[in-house]
Amino acid sequence: MTTTHETALRFSLGILATATAAHDTGRDDDIALPKLPGFVESAFSPLAYEVSSRCLTAHPGDGARTAVALASLAGDTTTADLASRRMVSGRVHNPLLFMQATANSVLGHMSREFGITGQMFSLSTLVDPLSELLSMADVLLDDPELDRVLVLGVELGGGERVTAVHRELAATSGRSGPAAALPASAGLAAAVLLGRPGDAAGPQVSIRSTGSTRASAGRLGSIQSLFELAAAHAEPRTEAEPRTETETHPHAHQ
Amino acid sequence: MTREVTVTGYGVRTAFGEGAEALRRGVFAGVPAFRPTTRFDTEPYRTAVAAVAPDGADGADAVEGWALRDALRRCGDEALGMAGLGAGAEAAVLLGVAGDNRSVTRYWRRAGDSVSSELSDVGRGSVVAGRAHAVAPQMSQPRAPVGALPAPESNSLADAVPAQLAELLADGLGLIGTRLAFTNACVASAAAIIHACRLISSGRIDVAVCAGGYLVEEETFGKFDSGRALSRDGMVRPFSADRSGLLLGDGVASVVLESAEHARWRGARPLASVVGWGAATDAHHIAQPHPEGIGLALAARQALRQAGDPDGASLDYVNAHGTGTKYNDGAETRGLRAAFGKRAESIPVSSTKSTTGHLLEAAGVVEFVITMLALLDGVLPPTAGYGSPDPECDLDYVPNAPRPADPRRALTINAAFGGANTALVLERP
Repeated sequence: MTTTHETALRFSLGILATATAAHDTGRDDDIALPKLPGFVESAFSPLAYEVSSRCLTAHPGDGARTAVALASLAGDTTTADLASRRMVSGRVHNPLLFMQATANSVLGHMSREFGITGQMFSLSTLVDPLSELLSMADVLLDDPELDRVLVLGVELGGGERVTAVHRELAATSGRSGPAAALPASAGLAAAVLLGRPGDAAGPQVSIRSTGSTRASAGRLGSIQSLFELAAAHAEPRTEAEPRTETETHPHAHQ
Repeated sequence: MTREVTVTGYGVRTAFGEGAEALRRGVFAGVPAFRPTTRFDTEPYRTAVAAVAPDGADGADAVEGWALRDALRRCGDEALGMAGLGAGAEAAVLLGVAGDNRSVTRYWRRAGDSVSSELSDVGRGSVVAGRAHAVAPQMSQPRAPVGALPAPESNSLADAVPAQLAELLADGLGLIGTRLAFTNACVASAAAIIHACRLISSGRIDVAVCAGGYLVEEETFGKFDSGRALSRDGMVRPFSADRSGLLLGDGVASVVLESAEHARWRGARPLASVVGWGAATDAHHIAQPHPEGIGLALAARQALRQAGDPDGASLDYVNAHGTGTKYNDGAETRGLRAAFGKRAESIPVSSTKSTTGHLLEAAGVVEFVITMLALLDGVLPPTAGYGSPDPECDLDYVPNAPRPADPRRALTINAAFGGANTALVLERP
């Protein structure tokens, strides 16, 4: 299967804020799963909301001029599997799972909490979503009615079905699966709030990506490059030390 | 750079069958496709009805041959053939899909119910009483032995991954370019079309195949049933006082979008142009639309501004989201009034979900095709099942019978969980 494509960003993108969160992964920076009312049983939505809210709080802005794009392999597989297992074991469906089964739900929650009325959507990406998300932000920021695009990715441990899906995808695509299986309860999330360079006051760096080859961009279901990008720019900086140089971010070229 | 976006091909399949003629016989005649489904055991649910394709002689549902990946490929082939494009063409493939949920069900059925004891009790007691819930839930199919391992499958497990379906579609069609899967529920394929419009109008690409697909299956059916979203009387009656909910339906479609100059260059005939698009969020509720249709109005206004007609003066038809639920239809009516003011009263509005059912991720692209056919055929598809007027739904809904017209511009609207809204304006050449 040939999956090579080029990602050419028309504009540099300013990083306004970043956040990462890990739960149950065995990493030093693991956090307890944040409580998110109405969202239970899965790390997907709580982690997605956690990283998003940190970015949107760190750099408040006009919700009407903000768009959000969320990427993952296949959404909240933990909730999907729980609902499916209940169904095949003869239990009735749970309305809570109906609501949570789509990533739109956490996006809707975020929209309400932060007054975001710009476009919000979710994507499925086989391998590292960084290039897809940067391209998406680049296209969205063509729109003069938008100033900011929050991009985020979520990776779940997932459990046995997701592991089987990884195995099958790896066998058919030649891509590598996860380096080490995460516990089913584990999750990683990363968010980057992007704008046009120079539009926003305060510290920023810029990214200019000139190419990406998806086949080499990462492992199946991984958000590694997005996570690393967010982590690399996570340190709080003061206005006295703005970084305004344009850099070619290595993550966008893997 | 702003380039005109045209439509040069389409392929569509619904419960009525394949192609435009099937839509004309069903959607444009106001004949609903709802029937009891035999695709899975519906005994545990409040309704057995969906808009599913019949298999012919024995009346059983067409399950074989309706693998989502195959249906997507078939519609893609039709669309490309109509557009005069083929394998080796450079075209983005943008797909709105949730993945083929049947592979998830199949996996856990084969795994057996050994895991049932591990399941949490979340929501136990909050589940609603249903027609079969007063007794012990029945197994809808024989279960595998406890503890049995899932049998190996050839590629079908991975069909649950939306991005994999986009890869399979693009590879199957032999297209070179970006592949992307949008998963944002009932606006997913509309979001794919909007993204394609942005890519083409900005000069980033020349051609995109935008597709969407949903085939009725038990996972989603059960979830909508548990959410009390399904109609109680086997009909979908959008905007009508006696509406009681939505019903799901089979739907798959592809459209080829292309810059006008690229179409001219290769001698392709544009069927229609996409002259405006918009997307906005309600900022109101996780599952319910804003009662005043604020996000829908924002999206519609964006699309009309882009079309150079902020007041909607040139608009001749609106293909509404129109799910037939209490929440949606009143909110959508108020959203259209907010977008177009008094002018809203003179624009015919219909919901073709009254015949096709709700196609979820495929709704955007199938309704895009229906809206385009309305422009090309000069017929407005009706809102079927319309009974009595609802005071909070007070527009012209083209009730029950098709209406001859001469529409030049039309708007198609979709909305989804989380308060997502999309709007697309099509124009006849």
